[in-house]
Amino acid sequence: MTTRTLALAATVAMAALATGTTGAQAQDCTIPLGAVFPLTGSNGPIGEPIAETARWAVEQMNEAGGVQGCEVEYLLRDTQGQSAVGVDAARNLVDVQGVPALLGAISSGVSLPILTSVTAPSEVVQVSCCSSSPSFTELAESGESGGFFFRTLPTSRAQGVVLGNIASQNYDEVSVIYINTDYGVNLAQEFQDAYEAWGGTVLESVAYNQEQASYRPEVNSALAAEPDALVLIAFPVDGSTILREWISFGGPQEFVLSNALRSDDVLEAVGAQFLDGAIGVDNAQVSGPSVEAFNADYQAAFDADPNRPGIHINYDAAAVTLLAMAAAPEATGPAIRDHIRVVTNPEGEEVYPGVDGFSRALELIEAGEPIRYVGASGPISFDENGDVAGPVLIWTVADGALAEDRVITVDEVNALFGELAQ
Amino acid sequence: MMGYVSYLSFFLTLALVYGIATMGLNLQWGFTGLFNAGVVGFFAIGGYAYAIVIGPDRPDLVGGFELPFVIGLLGALVFSAVAALIVGLATMRLRSHYLAISTFGIALTIQLVALNFESLTAGNLGLIGLGRPLEDAFDTPLGFNLFYLALMVVATLVVYGALQLILHSPWGRVLRAIREDEEAAISLGKNVSRFRLEAFVIGCSLMGLAGAFYVGSIGYISPFDFLPIVTFQIWTMLILGGSGNNRGAILGAIVVWGVWTSSGWLISTVLPPAWQVRGAASQVILIGLILVLTLLFRPRGLIGERVTVSSGARLDNR
Amino acid sequence: MGQLIADGILTGAVLSLGAIGVTLTLGILRFANFSHSELVTWGGYFALTFIAFAGTSAETFGPLSFGWSFVGAIIVAGIATAGLALLVDALVFSRLRRRRAAEMTLVFASFGVALLLRHIIVLIFGPQAVYYTGTLQFAVEVLPGVRVMPDQILVLVLTLLFVLGLHLTLKFSRLGIAMRASAESPDLARVHGVDVRVVIRWTWAIGGGLAAAAGVFYGLTVQMRPEVGFTLLLPLFTAALLGGSGSVYGAVIGGLIIGLSESLSVLIIPTGYKQAVPFLILLLILYLRPRGLFGDVAR
Repeated sequence: MTTRTLALAATVAMAALATGTTGAQAQDCTIPLGAVFPLTGSNGPIGEPIAETARWAVEQMNEAGGVQGCEVEYLLRDTQGQSAVGVDAARNLVDVQGVPALLGAISSGVSLPILTSVTAPSEVVQVSCCSSSPSFTELAESGESGGFFFRTLPTSRAQGVVLGNIASQNYDEVSVIYINTDYGVNLAQEFQDAYEAWGGTVLESVAYNQEQASYRPEVNSALAAEPDALVLIAFPVDGSTILREWISFGGPQEFVLSNALRSDDVLEAVGAQFLDGAIGVDNAQVSGPSVEAFNADYQAAFDADPNRPGIHINYDAAAVTLLAMAAAPEATGPAIRDHIRVVTNPEGEEVYPGVDGFSRALELIEAGEPIRYVGASGPISFDENGDVAGPVLIWTVADGALAEDRVITVDEVNALFGELAQ
Repeated sequence: MMGYVSYLSFFLTLALVYGIATMGLNLQWGFTGLFNAGVVGFFAIGGYAYAIVIGPDRPDLVGGFELPFVIGLLGALVFSAVAALIVGLATMRLRSHYLAISTFGIALTIQLVALNFESLTAGNLGLIGLGRPLEDAFDTPLGFNLFYLALMVVATLVVYGALQLILHSPWGRVLRAIREDEEAAISLGKNVSRFRLEAFVIGCSLMGLAGAFYVGSIGYISPFDFLPIVTFQIWTMLILGGSGNNRGAILGAIVVWGVWTSSGWLISTVLPPAWQVRGAASQVILIGLILVLTLLFRPRGLIGERVTVSSGARLDNR
Repeated sequence: MGQLIADGILTGAVLSLGAIGVTLTLGILRFANFSHSELVTWGGYFALTFIAFAGTSAETFGPLSFGWSFVGAIIVAGIATAGLALLVDALVFSRLRRRRAAEMTLVFASFGVALLLRHIIVLIFGPQAVYYTGTLQFAVEVLPGVRVMPDQILVLVLTLLFVLGLHLTLKFSRLGIAMRASAESPDLARVHGVDVRVVIRWTWAIGGGLAAAAGVFYGLTVQMRPEVGFTLLLPLFTAALLGGSGSVYGAVIGGLIIGLSESLSVLIIPTGYKQAVPFLILLLILYLRPRGLFGDVAR
């Protein structure tokens, strides 16, 4: 704790020094960027690194010259995992701080009321990394969101289908344990439909609610059917507990894991040797210069691998928003909304994460050239509903570490969809 | 400047929503001595009843009657009252903590039903497209916020006035008699369990009404709006404001909700961005500290009950 | 089935330890202490801190996942948590008692204290989950179809020992008699020369110590995170009230009922509703016995 505080203090001091020396270009104006994430409560463990990542992206953008010559001020609020607190925080950021764009939240149960009662009516751009509910697409289709909502998380369908596909290639009978939130319910459903279509049998499908004293009853009922493997759709903290209990109680050490479990925390908590050979899916993150550059930068900045849920996609959420703010003629919601697709233009010159990438992007924007942000999770393109379709990564645990197995491209995902439709 | 007005009107709207629920709780605890720890359950029933009555028709769901706002409010009142009646009949013979834990369990069960009974509540996804009343009549969110705040002020005054009226009626005096000395009330021939049940039902339907107003201002409902913490928040509003006094209940709602939300603002203004992530914990620590200190220095709340039972009797004689 | 019963008993045992503290505060201090479950969390983190400084023992006890340093951790955690409970009482609750504050004022002060205690943990240790040992322990088959981890058996044995010790203390020692007398009637106890302040201090110390044990055992068999206490809050209160407020045996039985009912519920209803089951049982029992299984009808 103390070392961490000291490190933070040192970083702040250095940042202050840095801005002091380069202050010659006089950034005396500031543009606010709001963010609402759960920092305390049950989603605190995933919210904290996600919020940090966005702050870091803002710092990099400021180092690269800021937005329209102004420094971007990152205004972060805690939702405590409560909708009402989140909505209030968003309202405050929009009305009092005048943010033209807002990052967040994580759970759809908080992001949705913010969209319906704050950002959409006030015409403020909202970019979420992690809210997976199909309701956002519905609101966009009906025009109620006014096109102000974007998310960098590919819809759960692609992941569910790929998960079902790889599971059916490896196992005939599985049990599923999934978290009883929109994320888990959707993904579990997509998985099961796909898996059964390819001939697999789901023996037992068990929902679990977060924040419970023990998950042994859930583990037991999934285990009792004697499946070949466990399909686990969960967040790292509960997921680790469930995996530990599964292994302790003699369940087969064969796992198919959801994207949120692609986390070093899980490996450390469970013991990588027990997870050897586990397979899972995650979004985008194709390897390539942009992803590698990001991973190296992250490693240097945080002294940790970016293997935690939501890090890459929230970095991209922040980066796309910041670039759109830079490209937009004025710092207003509608202008930023209209420039989100401008900075992810497939025709444009590719720009990457990091200070250098942002500097290059700013130059191109200045020159009026089109740009295509290729981010920490690979190339991003938003469809008309603000959703992204991305390639799906298949990952595995090998030699005690997370490893990339292969990437299912968008075309391949569509081919899988086609197979299912028949 | 307009931003402040807009935010403040939104803040007060939510505070008054909680204020109405707190007055409902005050009727139960402050005036009757019923330890209802299931506030959020009735808040949720009201919210869902409202959403189902006014919401758009959805082919895969029960409900979605697209009825006007006012009918939605009535629906919330009726459904929460019916639920309270059922719960009340099962639990009114329990005392203090036993009643508390039972009602708490019922509230949790209600939330679980909202989460799992997908054909009625859409489960985790929540219900979207719940139009906010007269939203289209306003060009800016500010206009709507002010309108809704005005609505809330009127609703709060109506509830306050009605409660004052019934509390100063013979019925209200019996309630306080029960709270002070149940056996004396029984010996006076009062049907104590019936009065208790009535107070419980009226109080719960006010919580349901508050739930409807909450959903009306947000335009969306999901089980995550009704976490158990809301019950604690509303109780804190009552105890800190001053149990047994409806003005205290409203003031408590505004103060506690203000502390709860403005502490986030404060933390994000005071701390440099690099510390804000850790600062989130200090926000909740600050909330806890303010709560504890206020109770230490004003153990009876900000505005306690002024009148004792006997002087209340004198009040009515004048 | 057998496995579910075994799991239920093991979870229930940890709940029982925590519920004893809740029931003691309900019976002797006469208020629902919402911050009690945070003592469980603190106990777990005290033990964690001790292990971090003392290091994990290289040698473990037979099939168990830990060695001597863990024994030290339990003792240190128990003492430190008892101290924390006394500190909180001195700073907050005793002042309120002196002002003769209403019961609800104490209850909501304890709610504030709970927020404080929980988030101080977040501030110091961060929100991530942590484990006592990096190694995973395998369950052994003790009966056909029933697998139990060796650590869990030890937890069960220790729980029984603690409960037995508490039982003997309450039954035969001067302190125990004074505590029971104060629970029945503080005024009468005072008249008979019982120093109620001493009784209150011991109540906090015992409740805190047992809470720490519950926290350490929970951390050992599940995991430690700042929310642990909060997730246990409801089961603890349900167990205490199911047994009857003030009854130590009631709390133990209540804890077991909660553990068993959650575990067995998966046989009949979807797991999404699992948390509701203990309450349905509670409602049923309270409908038949409004003051819990072992609650005195007199008060």
